[in-house]
Amino acid sequence: MENKQSSSPASFVDSTVVPGDVVLDLSSMTSQTIKLGGGLRQDCDAISAMKAGTLRFSKPNKYWIESSQKRYVPCVEDTILGIVVDSKADNFLIDIKGPAMGFLPVLAFEGGTRRNIPKFEILVESSHNSILFSMRLIGLYQLEVGTLLYLRVVKANSGMNPELSCTDASGKAAEFGPLKDGYMFETSTGLSRKLLSSPTCPVLEALGKKLSFEIAVGLNGRVWVNAASPDTIVVVANAIMNSESLSGAQQIIMVDHLLKNIQ
Amino acid sequence: MDARLANTWRLTLNEKNFIKTALLSEIRIDGRKPFEFRNISINFGREDGSAEVQLGQTRVMGIVTAKFVQPYRDRPNEGTLAIYPEFSPMADPSFEAGRSGESAVELGRIIDRGLRESRAVDTESLCIVAGKLVWAIRIDILILDNGGNLVDAANIAALAALMTFRRPECSLGGEDGLEVIIHPPEMRDPLPLIVHHLPIAITFGFFIDENVVVIDPILNEEAVMAGRMIATVNANGDICAIQKAGEGVSQRVIMQCLQLAITKAADITKQIKAAVEAYNSERALQKIKRETTCVGNNVKGDQNQTLDNKGISELVGKYMERLKLISVESYASQNISAEETKSLRRGTDSNCIKFNSTPLSWDPYSKCVDLEFLKASVALQGLSTASEEKEATGKEKGSEAESAGPYEDVNSKWSAVDASTTEMHVIGPKTLKDAVKPKNKRKKKASSVI
Repeated sequence: MENKQSSSPASFVDSTVVPGDVVLDLSSMTSQTIKLGGGLRQDCDAISAMKAGTLRFSKPNKYWIESSQKRYVPCVEDTILGIVVDSKADNFLIDIKGPAMGFLPVLAFEGGTRRNIPKFEILVESSHNSILFSMRLIGLYQLEVGTLLYLRVVKANSGMNPELSCTDASGKAAEFGPLKDGYMFETSTGLSRKLLSSPTCPVLEALGKKLSFEIAVGLNGRVWVNAASPDTIVVVANAIMNSESLSGAQQIIMVDHLLKNIQ
Repeated sequence: MDARLANTWRLTLNEKNFIKTALLSEIRIDGRKPFEFRNISINFGREDGSAEVQLGQTRVMGIVTAKFVQPYRDRPNEGTLAIYPEFSPMADPSFEAGRSGESAVELGRIIDRGLRESRAVDTESLCIVAGKLVWAIRIDILILDNGGNLVDAANIAALAALMTFRRPECSLGGEDGLEVIIHPPEMRDPLPLIVHHLPIAITFGFFIDENVVVIDPILNEEAVMAGRMIATVNANGDICAIQKAGEGVSQRVIMQCLQLAITKAADITKQIKAAVEAYNSERALQKIKRETTCVGNNVKGDQNQTLDNKGISELVGKYMERLKLISVESYASQNISAEETKSLRRGTDSNCIKFNSTPLSWDPYSKCVDLEFLKASVALQGLSTASEEKEATGKEKGSEAESAGPYEDVNSKWSAVDASTTEMHVIGPKTLKDAVKPKNKRKKKASSVI
C-alpha cells in the first residue's frame, strides 16, 4: 500500500484507499481551508483514512471517502430516514441503521417549544374531535412508534449516540419531519448516494419519464417512495433495488423492461 | 443492550399500511402475484447428502448424516429419523446463537411431521440387526439467510439432501453371521435412502381481509400477516400435515388453499427431482471416469504425469480436469457398459486401444494389474450379491473390484473385511505408490461409523 508521507492529494483522489493511508499532507498546503467529510481523520498535519473506499474530492475544498455498506455510519449534515422507536423525557429514540440509536431532541421541530411537544404514542381517536386545541397543546404532529421521519444529523461522534433534528440549520422545517403513506425500503449506502447525485441517476430519470412519484432518499440506506397507485410504488421500489449493480445504460434497459411488463 | 436495540429490524407504519392496501389490489411488494412462488434454486455440496436451497433471498442448507444406534424398544426393526434446525445469527438479527426460540422448534417439528407421519423415508430398510442395530438418520437444517418463509425452503433442502444422501452398504458376516461388515464406498457403492414420496411444505399467509391470501410470504409480509397456514402435501394429492397459526379463516378458504398447495407441490416436486437427477448423473459420470482409468492394462507411455494423485484421493475433487477427459472416456464407458461382466478382460484390451486418454500412466498400479487378478476379482464379484444401483452397470461393478486394488493398504487395516479384498494384492512400484494418498475422506467417514 502506498503510504508516502508527502504525496500530492491529486494522486489519491478517486483511487481506493484503506484505513491508515495518509491521503493528504497539510504541510504542503498552508493557506487553504479544507473540509473533511466522512472517513477522514486529522492527525496534526496528516489526514489519514479511517474507512476503506474511494477518496473523493469536490471543489473547492471538500474531501471524503466513499464506500458502500449495508449499515450506516452517522456523519454530520447527512439527511437520513429514521424510525421512531421510543420517546424519553428529552429525546425521542430513532433507529437510523447505525451502530447506536439516534437522539431527536423533543424541541428540534420548527416552532417547537415545551408547550407543544410532538406525541409519539399510540394514536388515540380523541384528537380528531378537537384538532385546533390538540395541535396547540398536545403537539405539532401525532406520531406513533414506527413513524418514518426525514431527519438531519446534527452531531455525530463515535461512541456517542448521534443527535438528530427535524429542522435545517436555520430552524425552518424545510421538508424534514414525518413522511406519510408511501412505502420504505432499504438499500446500501452507496446506492442511496447514487440516487442523490447530480446529474440525476439514470434509473430515476428513466422512471420519471413515464411515472409520477415522490421519493425521499436517506443517506443511511433507506428510501421512501410515494405515488398515486400501489403498482407504481412497487415498480419504482423494485427498479431502484435492482439498479444496485447495474451501469447507467443497463439501468435504463432494466426500467424499460419493467415498465413494459406492467403495461 | 443499546447495540441490540439499534440492530433490530423494524417495520414502519408506512410499510405496514402499504403492504395491506397493496394486497387489497392483489399487488405484492416484490411484484409477484398472490399465488406465485419465488424462484427456487437447489445446489448440492461436495459430499453426498448436502443441499443448499435458495428461495429468493432465503437461503437454507440441509445436511444428512447417518450413524448406528440401538433402535427404540417399541420399534425394533425401524431406523430413526431426526431433524435438527439451527437458526444462525447471520440469517437475521433476531436470531441468537445457541438454542434459538420457538420458531426454530416449530420449523423442526413441521418438517419432522411431514417426513415421519407420512412415512416418506422408508425406515424399515434402515434396520441392520433387528432389535440391536439400526441406522439413525440425522438431518441438520442450517438457516443462512432469512428472507421470509423459512419452513418451505428448509423442507426442500431436507428433501434434496435426503434424496442425494448415500449410506455405506453393510452386510452380516463373520463366523456366527452376527458381525456387521461395513463396506467402504470403493468396494460397494453406497446406497441411497428409500424415499417413497416427497412431502412439500407450502406456506400461506392470511391478512385481515379474508379474501386476501398470499403464498410464500417474504419477510415484510410475514411481519404484517395476521394468520398463517403451512400445508405439507405431496404430488399425489395426499395431505401429510397442516400447521395453522393466527387469525381464523373460513373453511372455504382453507379448502382453496389445500387445492392450490397440491398444484404447487407438483411443480416443486418436479424441480427437486430434476435437480437430483442432474446431480446423480454428474456423480455417475465422475464415478465412471474414475473406474475406466484404472481398467486399462496397456500403459500409454509417460504422458501427463501431472494428472496427479489428487485424482485418486479426492473422488469428487478436481472435477475440472476430468471434464476434459470425460468426453473421451464416456465413449469408452459406453462400450464397456454394453458388455457383460465376464467379458471384461477381453473388452478391456480393445477398449484401451480405442481411447486416447492419458491418465492411465499416472496410476501407479495399472502396470501391475494382471489377468489372473482380474479373473479372480470378477469371479468373486459375480458371486456376491451386487447392490442395486440406478446408474451402476455390471461393467462398473467389475471395474470397482479392480480399483479396490490400489487401496489395499487401507483395506488391510480392517479386520472384518470381505474376503475378496485380501486377494487383491498388488505389487506396485514403490516410488509412485508412496506418492499416492490412499486416504480418502469418504472412507474415513465410513470407518468412523462403526
